[in-house]
Amino acid sequence: MMKGKIEGLSPIRILRSLQPVFWVTLFLMLVFNFFSSRFLSLHNIINLFQQGAVLLIVAAASTLVILSEGLDLSLGSVLTLAGITSVMTVNGGAPVSVAIGVGVLTGLLCGALTGTLIAVFNMQPFIATLGIQGVYYGISLVLTDSVAILTKNKTFIFFGSRIGYIPMAAIIGVGVFLLILYVFHHTPFGRYVVAIGGNESGTRLSGVNTTFWKWFVYTFAGGITGFAGVLLAARLEAADPIVGVGWEFDAIAATILGGTSFQKGKGGVAGTALGVLLITVVRNGLNVIRTPSILQPALIGTILIIAIVIQVGLSMRSIEKEGKNRP
Amino acid sequence: MMQKRSLVSMMDPNIVSGVGRVFALLLICIAMGFASPVFFTARNISLIITNASIMAILGVGLTITVITCGPDLSVGSILTITAVVAVILVKANVHFLIAFMIALCMGTALGFLNGILVTKVGLPPFISTYGLQWALFGFAYVILKGYVIYNFDADFRFIGNGYLIGPISMPIVVMVIVVFLGWFVLRKTTIGRMFYATGANRDAARMSGIDTGKAILLAFSISGFLSALAGIVLVARINACQADIGKNLLLPSLATVYMGGTRATGGQGGVFGTLVGAVIMTVVENGMNLLGVPSVWRNAIIGTLIILTVLANIAVSKQLEKAGSKM
Repeated sequence: MMKGKIEGLSPIRILRSLQPVFWVTLFLMLVFNFFSSRFLSLHNIINLFQQGAVLLIVAAASTLVILSEGLDLSLGSVLTLAGITSVMTVNGGAPVSVAIGVGVLTGLLCGALTGTLIAVFNMQPFIATLGIQGVYYGISLVLTDSVAILTKNKTFIFFGSRIGYIPMAAIIGVGVFLLILYVFHHTPFGRYVVAIGGNESGTRLSGVNTTFWKWFVYTFAGGITGFAGVLLAARLEAADPIVGVGWEFDAIAATILGGTSFQKGKGGVAGTALGVLLITVVRNGLNVIRTPSILQPALIGTILIIAIVIQVGLSMRSIEKEGKNRP
Repeated sequence: MMQKRSLVSMMDPNIVSGVGRVFALLLICIAMGFASPVFFTARNISLIITNASIMAILGVGLTITVITCGPDLSVGSILTITAVVAVILVKANVHFLIAFMIALCMGTALGFLNGILVTKVGLPPFISTYGLQWALFGFAYVILKGYVIYNFDADFRFIGNGYLIGPISMPIVVMVIVVFLGWFVLRKTTIGRMFYATGANRDAARMSGIDTGKAILLAFSISGFLSALAGIVLVARINACQADIGKNLLLPSLATVYMGGTRATGGQGGVFGTLVGAVIMTVVENGMNLLGVPSVWRNAIIGTLIILTVLANIAVSKQLEKAGSKM
């Protein structure tokens, strides 16, 4: 049992299972570059990083939750709410560090509530998070009265801007992602997440407090999504009460495309970066080749579903083959 | 022995909590009567039941999918895209009955696609249907380009705003037929038993010779068909159609199903509970309107309701388990 889990985490195995999504990404990049040579220009590649940074953080959070055999459909609303509380704080005259703290704290509280419903009260993750999504969006609408709040605080906006060529958001995004990667691979928390996803009752019987760690996964995911919300608000220079709609699905899609499976805690945080790259390439590429904006949501939705079908379908087949070859 | 036990566990919660549910509805109604003098007028009650019918039609499809394998989170988007196609056809001078048929076929086909994504690709239902909804809303937006289509012929509108006898409106008639058929299929046919068996324990059902793949495909196809039907009734009733017509229907219709006592874990529940749930949901919405609750609070209240009902359901089933083990 234990051996199977470690195998599931080994980088070579994950890389092999990621072949389909890698080829899809490469194919899409070539197609976009064929239609517009601007796509692979340095300027646009920097843009890609800037645009993907926030999703990278949210998707890493989503991956941790899914690895524990859970699901968080409320991340988009947490992203929104955290952005709103931090912008309101900074507009109220507080220092930027306090505003960032308030955003992260908002995320932590949201995640802690979600985690309590799931870990303590045994609610099914998708209902608990779908219901709570309504609550968090509701609070966002009430706080802002349904209108976006702008901010002009220079220091706050700085985190979403560029120094010369270098986009701050990308550096922060990649930094946070590497931090999560470290936590996942080098702390007991990461091991417990995978263990709970693989075999919850077995993990509990071997002495791990699974209720606490399950609760903690959602709280942790909420906290880092809160931080992502602050970053997004800084980049947009505003907090919009509907900015996060659909982000939770992008994050889940990136997780699945990154080779994490919904069963038995297989996969890892690293692969998610590739999923984020694919999604960002699609969103950015459609813009660069000047697809009418009215067509974009439909195209993005369709491309993502097809990519997921290819990735899940092909990787399932390769796993089955492997299983047959084994003695 | 086995047969008897499974029958008891299927019936008991329905009767016990069914009575409680009707009682809760009466209590809410009495409270509403005190709070608002117009609540108990004939006009308001007829309005409530007519409004509940759309929720109940969607709810029957959702109930079947929740019982079988997991909720169809795309009901709102299937409703939208089929309604959009139907009104476009009608405006292009296609006979309204042919437009209805096309919309219903399309809804069934989209439901079937959901089923394929679950059975053949192996995605969890709450992922595939949640993902599909973004693509479908996108396509609805592409077709309508933000316009509102309104003002339909009286023939077309009859199913939404006509009256059969006295105060019994056509939506109520459609709802009664759908709920009756739903009850008949679930309780009196082998197909219904297939649904319950698949939801209760898919592996056990497969091993005892049930084609679980077929059950899932059928459940999602029914849900797609009923979403399209609800869309036709809704558009005919409000005499207008836009690309976000179904956007706010998912949370309340899901709440309807859980309020009706259908278990989120599958294998238990029924359509009569959903009918009562739909009326409760509509009374709550109607009450919010009559009491002048600002619309920004709507999502927060419905989300809280979902969570509280599911928590109550979990508590009830724990009690029943205790009672069962004592016997």
